[in-house]
Amino acid sequence: MSNSTSPLGYRFPGGRYTIAHWENWLLTDCTTAQALPENLAHPVSLFHVPILGAGTSIAELFEICGAEGPGSVGLDGYDWEYMHPLRVGVEYRMEGGIVRWENLVDERDQPYDSMSFSIEMFDGSELVARITNTWRFRRKKVVSA
Amino acid sequence: MAISPKKSSERMSRIINVGDQLPEFVVPSVDPARMKTMAAILRDPYRVHWDREATREMGLDGRVINQGPLNLSYIVNMLHAFAGPTSIRRLTVSFARPVFDGDLVVAGGEVTDVQDSVLVCRVWLKRGDEVVVSGTAVVDVAALASVSS
Repeated sequence: MSNSTSPLGYRFPGGRYTIAHWENWLLTDCTTAQALPENLAHPVSLFHVPILGAGTSIAELFEICGAEGPGSVGLDGYDWEYMHPLRVGVEYRMEGGIVRWENLVDERDQPYDSMSFSIEMFDGSELVARITNTWRFRRKKVVSA
Repeated sequence: MAISPKKSSERMSRIINVGDQLPEFVVPSVDPARMKTMAAILRDPYRVHWDREATREMGLDGRVINQGPLNLSYIVNMLHAFAGPTSIRRLTVSFARPVFDGDLVVAGGEVTDVQDSVLVCRVWLKRGDEVVVSGTAVVDVAALASVSS
């Protein structure tokens, strides 16, 4: 059903990330809100900060999962847990990897691969947040001759 | 019954009940310029967020597609207005439909469970009557209680 190789079990290199003031200001502006008080980072930072901090990128995830151009990638869902609020200027450590990969067929009988990756985010040894994101990689249907 | 997001003293003077509606957060028109900035911050190479030609190729009339995190951010902003900027403990959402530039979307929610200071809320983002994002939020309103005491 899928012409891609399963990346299940792939581990990200891991690494560190500090949310910059300018970055948080611009991101918060994109949400149509004003910057939060007390160096709080907007909670939606929990999309890009774990990905970049874990030493990967959206581009690399697309490549690993065999994205096939505009319209081939879709979002299925997020599960984000906040043990502590995120803050600007704090160096966070990240680790994680690809935890799920399934070959599926949608309601229109089109094949796709469903991929979930999970990343944990630490301040020192303290768990600050955990994410699991699920993306969909649509595949061209192979027609037998 | 809707709960006012503006008056914290009024808000805390009443009991929050299952079935209470959270105040809505309205985005009158999703802005493609913000999608471009967001793409740069996210290092997101997916052209559908900033290149109208990419969505023309998809038969979408050249309207660019809002990033999932931005769709979710409107729900976050709605929760912040209600419960404060450190209140969110968990967000579990699924994305049903894409949101396009120029769309008017409204974030909303409803309390489904109350345990001490922790609320479980059903949350959504709608375009008209169409639900484009839906899920569950766990929020802690303890900070509001301390403000009011």
